[in-house]
Amino acid sequence: MEWILDFPSTIRLDFTKQIDAFIAYLNVHYADFFAGLKAILNSVIGGIYQGLELIPWWLLILFVVLLTKKLVGRYRTGLLYGLLMFLIGAFGYWHMMNETLSIVITAVILSLLLGLPIGILISTSVKVNSIFRPVLDAMQTMPTFVYMIPAVMLLGPGKVPAVLATVIYAVVPVIRLTSHGIQQVDKEVVEAARSFGSSRWQILAKVQIPQALPTIMAGVNQTMMMAVAMVVTCAMIGANGLGMEVLIAINRTESGRGLVAGICIVIIAIIIDRLTQSVSAKGGR
Amino acid sequence: MEETILKVEHLYKLFRSREIGASEETAIEMLQQGLSPAEIRAKTGIVVASNDVSFEVKRGEIFTLIGLSGSGKSTIIRCLNMLHRPTSGHIYVENEDITKYDEEQLMKLRRTKVAMVFQNFGLMDHRDVLSNVAYGLEIKGVNKKERESKALEMVALVGLEGWENKRIDNLSGGMKQRVGIARALANDPDILLMDEAFSALDPLVRNDLQFELLGIQEKMQKTIVFITHDINEAFKLGNHVGILREGEMVQLTTPEEMLANPADDYVRKFIDNVDSTKVLSVKNIMVTPGAMIKAGDGVNIALKSMKSNGLSSAYVVGEHMQFQGLITLENALAVRAGQLNFEEAIIRDIPIIKDIHTPIADIVNLAANARFPLVVVADDGSLQGIVSKAAILSSFSG
Amino acid sequence: MKKTIYVLMTLIMAVALTAGCGGPDKSAEKTIVLSDAGWDSVKFHNAVVSYIADKAYGLKTKVVSGSTPITHTALVRGDIDVNLETWSDNIASYKNDVAGGYIVELGVNFDDNKQGLYVPRYVIEGDEARGIAPMAPELKTVADLKKYSKLFVDEENPAKGRIYGAIPGWAVDEILFKKFNYYGLNEQYNYFRPGSDATLNASIVAAYAKGEPIVAYNWEPTWLSGKLDLVLLEDAPYNEKGFLEGETAFPSVRVTVTANKNLPKKAPEFTDFLKKYHTSSALTAEALAYISENKASYDEAAVHFLKEHSELLDKWLPADKAKSVRSALGN
Repeated sequence: MEWILDFPSTIRLDFTKQIDAFIAYLNVHYADFFAGLKAILNSVIGGIYQGLELIPWWLLILFVVLLTKKLVGRYRTGLLYGLLMFLIGAFGYWHMMNETLSIVITAVILSLLLGLPIGILISTSVKVNSIFRPVLDAMQTMPTFVYMIPAVMLLGPGKVPAVLATVIYAVVPVIRLTSHGIQQVDKEVVEAARSFGSSRWQILAKVQIPQALPTIMAGVNQTMMMAVAMVVTCAMIGANGLGMEVLIAINRTESGRGLVAGICIVIIAIIIDRLTQSVSAKGGR
Repeated sequence: MEETILKVEHLYKLFRSREIGASEETAIEMLQQGLSPAEIRAKTGIVVASNDVSFEVKRGEIFTLIGLSGSGKSTIIRCLNMLHRPTSGHIYVENEDITKYDEEQLMKLRRTKVAMVFQNFGLMDHRDVLSNVAYGLEIKGVNKKERESKALEMVALVGLEGWENKRIDNLSGGMKQRVGIARALANDPDILLMDEAFSALDPLVRNDLQFELLGIQEKMQKTIVFITHDINEAFKLGNHVGILREGEMVQLTTPEEMLANPADDYVRKFIDNVDSTKVLSVKNIMVTPGAMIKAGDGVNIALKSMKSNGLSSAYVVGEHMQFQGLITLENALAVRAGQLNFEEAIIRDIPIIKDIHTPIADIVNLAANARFPLVVVADDGSLQGIVSKAAILSSFSG
Repeated sequence: MKKTIYVLMTLIMAVALTAGCGGPDKSAEKTIVLSDAGWDSVKFHNAVVSYIADKAYGLKTKVVSGSTPITHTALVRGDIDVNLETWSDNIASYKNDVAGGYIVELGVNFDDNKQGLYVPRYVIEGDEARGIAPMAPELKTVADLKKYSKLFVDEENPAKGRIYGAIPGWAVDEILFKKFNYYGLNEQYNYFRPGSDATLNASIVAAYAKGEPIVAYNWEPTWLSGKLDLVLLEDAPYNEKGFLEGETAFPSVRVTVTANKNLPKKAPEFTDFLKKYHTSSALTAEALAYISENKASYDEAAVHFLKEHSELLDKWLPADKAKSVRSALGN
């Protein structure tokens, strides 16, 4: 009776050879394309990094303090965040923080550039929605290394595949919440807009998106958080920064070092989270 | 003033709930064969919202459609600006069949001729009052300065001066609906569609707004199609009232007529709830005086007019219909006999009603104590009509 | 409808229960827990040892996977019984753990491996078949790299070249970095941390397929070293002190068979076998190449390996045990 329990293993489905061959093919024959892609991304990431490096540390801290005051409303919180950032520098992780930020910022920009339009697109049609849903699910749950190793082969290790890995993971919330937010807009408001002769585009731009803004901003916020969460995985594909520091600490079982670097990552996450939540709370003006 | 601005002919609107199965056209045939909407729904899953509805609306009038939920009134009013596409039938706005319009023409229709006010207001809470009111103009591409000034005008018209820059969530229900009305009027449409516009408001506020709507209507003379489930509201506002049941028009007439002659038991049940003295107003029962003479005409003409109309009094008006007073047969004869001079014979002490929307309930006492019919006079003093005790009494029936 | 469901469910449950009742309960026998830190060679050795454990000693084995620090901690605690490939110099606490008696060093699996900085052969000699001209004909030692920083350009920072270092956190990584500085390579090169060996290998494979120049840390035996033609850059002769400062070549690592202190009591005869378990880097690489070429499983490779090198069975096992394994292989 055992055969009922065992899966018919004589059927040996195997696509692995074909997939390997395909990646190898891409690697050799499309080298130029990937090199070009890599160059573009590198320049963006590098540019942001250089920009961050140019800003003197006290200026960046001051900027964060003032921005916090403006968005959150209280100096106390602003000073706290400024202090926490100072702490990062005191630990000696300032430049690493900038490296990490250059990856996170690039990934977030890409995620928003891709995710917002896709989210809007999905909201318009049930059919498109049903095509995208499983894709989004896959993007969030497929083990990162499964697609990152081919990416490393095609694009080389380092910050570029790290940004891509982060985008694949982090773009999903902004897509889902943008689409959801737009669909949740009061149907009567949309009907009213229609009854005044608004075109499809006007309804989208003047009514649906502004009304959905709090939800969309929640999506943006989550995207940013996920980008920060990917930092250590990025280190595993060669991206420098705080994530690499954590990785080294893990490999050497140096818990203290790992914790300190981890705390710096957490600080960045908290500041980003709080600031973007405040934008969302103030809503579209 | 008497031209037809909106004509609906044999409007059918059906909704499919299943992807496969009978088409709406088949269902229409079934209707014409005599099946009821309930039977059709059971067989095909198709809902009949509007079943061969026809009506006409004259420019400047208020046409109210009343029915219970599910009677099809929401669907029908949405066909009037083509938010729903009719399954069959024609709708003429200023003699053009809008069911044949393409998307661009429909957008133009909605931007210039027809505007809508919604039950739950349909306002955008991310914008302030002014920019909500200006929305229709913004869609049309009017520049900021112009549209803001027009919007301010409308805001004042609905009595919300000072609130232009407030956020929508700061407003009460009644105020929000005023914004809705202002928004609709800002487009200067010929036709206003009002979808249970006051149903979401509490009774006192509703009353106020009904009154104000009538006031605005006086000023602006828009054509209004108003749907409601409240018979009192329908009667108060409508020049003509149509009752819908399960998508079919059961009776379409004036409020007075419907009160006097309900078409069937269904209508009768509806109007049972009507307190006609609260609902009917002066305008529903006033009539033009049969005998009317100009001040300079003299007593002989007065007597002649009374004789040919079989009346015992005549109304005296000035050059521009300014109401001056009443002359009785008795007094006229006395004037001819030389006992009285004409001017003194005119009775000027007549109770005057200024507002044609005054509910009958409010003038009953006045009429009871008056010797002569009450006179309705406009702001400029011109004679609009008279209200006799008999007319008041007959409005109690039904 | 409901009735059908009930009947169906009862049927399924019946089958499940009866099928579950197999023969006598075997869980009373001892299970040996093997360590798998993730790379190919240890999986292979686990397969060989499992086979022998079963056929010679009737022991069941179980494999626990994890990263190096985690599996080592498990070994110290006793959650894992034996690690067949303990790269002793990559684990910082190794010496202390042995000294403290938590783990026992049973023997050396192999100690003839190599590690260091490699370049593909075509970089030095070219490859006519692939149409690649020699790019760095005079590159022989680590010191020579100074001349070729423009060749191994770092795309993220084009001003400098790139040397792929070891997995960050491995002890060898620190030494390699010291070497990097010692030879003054830090002036012209970036020391690139690949983050994981998956990334490192992917980078090497990708560059190799494109015929591009690359200089990277790697070690033998791996399927990579077996499959690709890589040349180890030479270095100064080894001496212990100099090595720790990065001045010399890498010594062969003592890759030991290490057990938790309780294993000898738990399975004494089996422990004796493990003490004699000795292979070589070459043998391991051969097995890994076999796996790569034939897409074989580790178990299949283990069987093949034992057949090919059955003289090893006599070295490892007493005569009667060796006989049992041979007859099992003979089938």
